[in-house]
Amino acid sequence: MVDAVRTQMLTKHYRAADVVTNVNLTVKKGEIYGFLGPNGAGKSTVMKMLLGLVRPTGGEVELFGEKLIPGSVEHLKRIGHLIETPAFYERMTARENLELHAEYMGYHVRESIDEALQMVQLLGVEGKPVKQFSLGMKQRLAIARAISTRPELLLLDEPINGLDPEGIQLMRGLFRRLRDEWGISILISSHLLSEIEQVADTIGVIDGGRLLKEVSLEELRASKTDYIEITTAQASLAAYVLTEKLGLERFKQIGERTLRVYDTHVPQETLSKTLILNEVPIESINRRHHTLEEYFFDMVKGGDNHAASRQAGA
Amino acid sequence: MLHLVKLELKKGSLRGYVYGALIAYAAIAAFLLLLYFFEGSDSSAPAFGSQLEILGIVNTMVGATFVVYSSALLSRLVIGEFKDKTMALLFAYPVNRKQLIFAKLSIVFAWCFANIVIGNIVIDAIMLTVNHYTGMVGGELSGSQLMQHVGFVLLQGVGAAGMSLLPLLVGLPRRSVPATIVSSIFIVSIINSNNGGFSLSSIIAIPLSLAAVGIFGAYLSFRNIDKADVA
Repeated sequence: MVDAVRTQMLTKHYRAADVVTNVNLTVKKGEIYGFLGPNGAGKSTVMKMLLGLVRPTGGEVELFGEKLIPGSVEHLKRIGHLIETPAFYERMTARENLELHAEYMGYHVRESIDEALQMVQLLGVEGKPVKQFSLGMKQRLAIARAISTRPELLLLDEPINGLDPEGIQLMRGLFRRLRDEWGISILISSHLLSEIEQVADTIGVIDGGRLLKEVSLEELRASKTDYIEITTAQASLAAYVLTEKLGLERFKQIGERTLRVYDTHVPQETLSKTLILNEVPIESINRRHHTLEEYFFDMVKGGDNHAASRQAGA
Repeated sequence: MLHLVKLELKKGSLRGYVYGALIAYAAIAAFLLLLYFFEGSDSSAPAFGSQLEILGIVNTMVGATFVVYSSALLSRLVIGEFKDKTMALLFAYPVNRKQLIFAKLSIVFAWCFANIVIGNIVIDAIMLTVNHYTGMVGGELSGSQLMQHVGFVLLQGVGAAGMSLLPLLVGLPRRSVPATIVSSIFIVSIINSNNGGFSLSSIIAIPLSLAAVGIFGAYLSFRNIDKADVA
């Protein structure tokens, strides 16, 4: 099957800064691709390059299996998008904006506008000028506009911004529905893992303009590392016992009182029994999973970038 | 192409501009009538030497007004879209970018030309009618003089409409509405300083070369738009 998006060594350098460097990204047909990275990581720039709004300084883009030629516009008929802030002709009504969009896109199916408005639950206010809309409503309208021409590929840059929890819930459902019922491929960017973890099939992590990792969530959940966490007042004694009595090597001391044992072939009971027999005071001992959050945080931190600390704060 | 122009008009909601043009006509007519009545009776020499001179002054004023007015429209249609970030939206449509800009510029060109022609007709009619009853400016206005003036107005209109696009060369790189309008005022002063000569060749050559310069300058401003990043 042909991939919806494939970039090879995609690069954008401005005179002073490298914004995007050698990004190889693949969005398979009919999947939701979560594009994760802190603010300023280059997510928007990559999406703009896919749309042709920004010209790459290196590498190439393939959409629907065809190489993107500068100046070509035909493929844009098959793409719906929401990049950065939702921009509208504010004096016109919501419906007029969607009609105008359909005219420019060359898509003439009247019902599709009603359908799109209904999907984002904006029916009833479509006759109001957009300038009266709140940010959340504009965001919804922008999503309605993007899907109103039944695209094959949706590029959504931080689509959850400004939405209330109910709206977020609605959008999640909508994205899944678009994928499952219409077979749309969706590229969603976000700086919050929790936002896209629930909908994405694949997650690509970008930081400092580099794609650090591209991983399918299914794969990730299967390979998620388990460990046993031991909290004790005498961590060094416990470490000694683990090495000498049990022959364990794969463990790590976290802080002063915590040990993480990654060798899971030794059962938890044996572990606690041996520690107690060797007079190590145990406060708690638990089996744990690495959360996705930790996984990605480690990865971004591993990339040795200051942005990582901002990511933690987000 | 025509479709693009239609879409531009649809979203532009240009009704306000039409009212603005009517107000501009009224203001020019009022100003000229003021000159006609008060300047003329007060001093020994009347404000206007002949009826043809009246028509010439009307044409100058209408031309100057609508070149500046058109720059406001130009700002709205081109620079305003960049400011409102709707240009990124337009450029992500399956439409050639140059055609999009071209549609916008042809609206400005047509707007400027149409207003100069209509403005001349309306205000000339007012002035000549008033003069017909008061008879303050004497002398005959022959048919051939009138025809020559019509030709002059049409050619001047083309020249002014072409020139009205030139502010884009200054305004577009800066994405600045004030720069666009200020440069249009400069352009007006250039056009009007060229109004002295009345030989036939200058009547034809000057407006047409002005139009060519204006259109070419506007083209220069968006020549690389296909390669430009729209941030």
